[in-house]
Amino acid sequence: MSGAFLRLVDVTKRFDERFVIERVSLELREGQAMALLGPSGCGKTTLLRLIAGLETPDDGEIWIAAKKVAAKGRNTVAPRGRNIGFVFQDLALWPHLTVAGNLDFVLQSQRWERRTRRDRVDEVLRMVHMAPHADKYPSQLSGGEQQRVAIARALVARSQLLLLDEPLSNLDSDLKSALLEELSFLQRRLNLTTLYITHDKLEAATFADTVVKMKNGRIDESNLTLMQGVR
Amino acid sequence: METIPVNSSAFRHSRALPSARALTLGLAVTLFVLFCVIPVVYMFVVSLTNAAGSFTLDNYQPLLTDPRQRALMVTTIELGAGAAIFATVLGAPLGLLFARASLPAKRFLRLALVAPLVVPPYIMALAWVLLTGPVGLFARAAGRDFLSDWTYSLTGAIVVLGVTFYPLSMLATEAAARRVDARLEESALLAASPGRVLWRITLPLIGPTVAAAGLIVFVLALSEFGVPALLRVRVFTTEAFTAFAAFYDFGAGVALCAPFLVVALVVSLTIKFVIGERLLVTPRSIRLGLPLTFSRPLRAMILIGIAAVVFASTLLPVSALLIETTGINRIASAASTSGEAIANSLWLAFTGATLIVALAVVLGYGRTRARNRLRTFFDPAFILLFAVPSTVVGIGIIGLWNRDGVMGQVYSSQWIIVVTYIARFVPVAALMLAASVRQISISSEHAAEVAGASWTRTFASIVLPQLRTGIVAAWVVSFIFCFGELGATILVAPPGESTLPVRVYTLIANTPSSEVASLALMQVGITLIPLILLTVFLPKKVTRKPA
Repeated sequence: MSGAFLRLVDVTKRFDERFVIERVSLELREGQAMALLGPSGCGKTTLLRLIAGLETPDDGEIWIAAKKVAAKGRNTVAPRGRNIGFVFQDLALWPHLTVAGNLDFVLQSQRWERRTRRDRVDEVLRMVHMAPHADKYPSQLSGGEQQRVAIARALVARSQLLLLDEPLSNLDSDLKSALLEELSFLQRRLNLTTLYITHDKLEAATFADTVVKMKNGRIDESNLTLMQGVR
Repeated sequence: METIPVNSSAFRHSRALPSARALTLGLAVTLFVLFCVIPVVYMFVVSLTNAAGSFTLDNYQPLLTDPRQRALMVTTIELGAGAAIFATVLGAPLGLLFARASLPAKRFLRLALVAPLVVPPYIMALAWVLLTGPVGLFARAAGRDFLSDWTYSLTGAIVVLGVTFYPLSMLATEAAARRVDARLEESALLAASPGRVLWRITLPLIGPTVAAAGLIVFVLALSEFGVPALLRVRVFTTEAFTAFAAFYDFGAGVALCAPFLVVALVVSLTIKFVIGERLLVTPRSIRLGLPLTFSRPLRAMILIGIAAVVFASTLLPVSALLIETTGINRIASAASTSGEAIANSLWLAFTGATLIVALAVVLGYGRTRARNRLRTFFDPAFILLFAVPSTVVGIGIIGLWNRDGVMGQVYSSQWIIVVTYIARFVPVAALMLAASVRQISISSEHAAEVAGASWTRTFASIVLPQLRTGIVAAWVVSFIFCFGELGATILVAPPGESTLPVRVYTLIANTPSSEVASLALMQVGITLIPLILLTVFLPKKVTRKPA
């Protein structure tokens, strides 16, 4: 067994008999930032959802922190037991909770004590420069601010594995560059194992140590000699 | 170089003559105001004037000073609130189950559970009287009357109205639960248990819609006439009917309903405020973020619960009617003696539904596509007018149309019943069709416009074909409402020109229950046929797509 933090072994997923993910194997060591690059519909998001436990693989194994979380066509660990931070493409901020409430919900669900929760929420909001907006609702924030809240929510429970599903796709290029830089800084500072999905080559190369290409539900063999990130 | 097609709206708007679009919408709004708004406004004006034509508040004075009126107010509010709570407690969990749980024969079960909504409420009340009244089936089986005190009470009326309207809460909850963005729940599932996600994320997100549905039930229960009248519960609608039918007192009749109308206005504005555009748009989330799964014993208990609701809300009342008819010969005999009323009801409901949809489709289009702020007021206006008690609409129509000339000729013919149907049901059909128009991309109209099509051609060839499912649904719902209309028809129907609901209602007091039950059963049967057809031909659910 390798020392990988995240390990996928021949993971396969079908929808209506169509292969969306076909025998994908991947390894990420602790603290590694990998970008998964590929065109729309190639299965990138489904792969992330399989790792998070939001979909069940039809075949193959998924290991997180040396623990088998999915095998033999079923999830053996529920999503909440995987200690994952996930930033969705459309952010999925809970509109009826404030910024602080969005973060607090995660900690409360993981049974953090009230005082610790408050301190941790403050700390993470400061980290992403959103402390002054703690009491606002998502609808009162700009696109970039919402992005920061989504990142903060993914980080708040000290998850060691961060999954990012095209988190910056809806931003203009200036804001995207600034946030990408911050995200990259946080990833290194917190030593987060990170899988970053994008269809933007420059974004992938800026953020990741390693870039892997996907095509038609498979890791593109022709690019298996991985491109090295430029950072 | 940019060119502007000669038929484009930009070109037409510069002309002095109004466009075909403006003319069509203007005509529709004029008819809406004439048929739906003026009768109600007219009644208010009458209620605020004395015999000499001067302003007076005399009709409203008893509302504040007479203790009996205050008691009436309390009973009316209790009836509305009780029915709303009953319908929500029963309907909301069912809606959640239908949106999120895997159930066998879901389509059939949904149809069975929705059935009470299309059965006219007074028929439901009649069925419960036949079951639990002093000489009802239960009393005959037990050899003594032990339920009639409950039947003829406020509680009985609450239960009957709650059972009639719970499908509204169920359908609204189901639609709300389906449109919750799956990712909101999935992101919560990464941290919390499914139960906690349901409690903290899903329920708060669907809460406003559930509350809005409760408010709609509240208003509908308040405006209902047939059920409290049959179950002898004195509320504003029954007192307004008495004030008019017994004393021919227009002003007092309307004044009695004034507090209720204020409540209806507040509620319609609240609904608009709380759920906003979601009143019209109910897109389904392609993926369910939090499917409800149950252990085998719990699932069995849930299915037994659903079967119990179907039994109590549909099978039991219909069975009561069936048993009371005493056989197929009685139904045939009732059909022959009331053949004229049945035929009247069928053609009037058919004509009414057709005209309602014709007007509502243009109003619904105008509501969705209007470029000015006026459209903000359409929804509260539609809800408010739909909530106006049938008795008030009836009194208003009599006051407005009972005069010499063409209006008088219409008033003395069966067409006044069609006018009544239009006044009562155009608002709800317009809301339904506005929702359908909203589903059509504006780009398809722009493409036709750029291609050189006139607005009329675009509307006829691009918009209407895409609306056909919505039009059929609105027609069926309008037909069902028209066919079961009682409160206003009983007031406006010309002598000798009875409809089936009016005939059933007037026969209840002095005719063998077997004949009344036979006619009621026919009413239920005719009402359920279009509902079944609608369910069969509705588009199938969205199929799952990969992420």
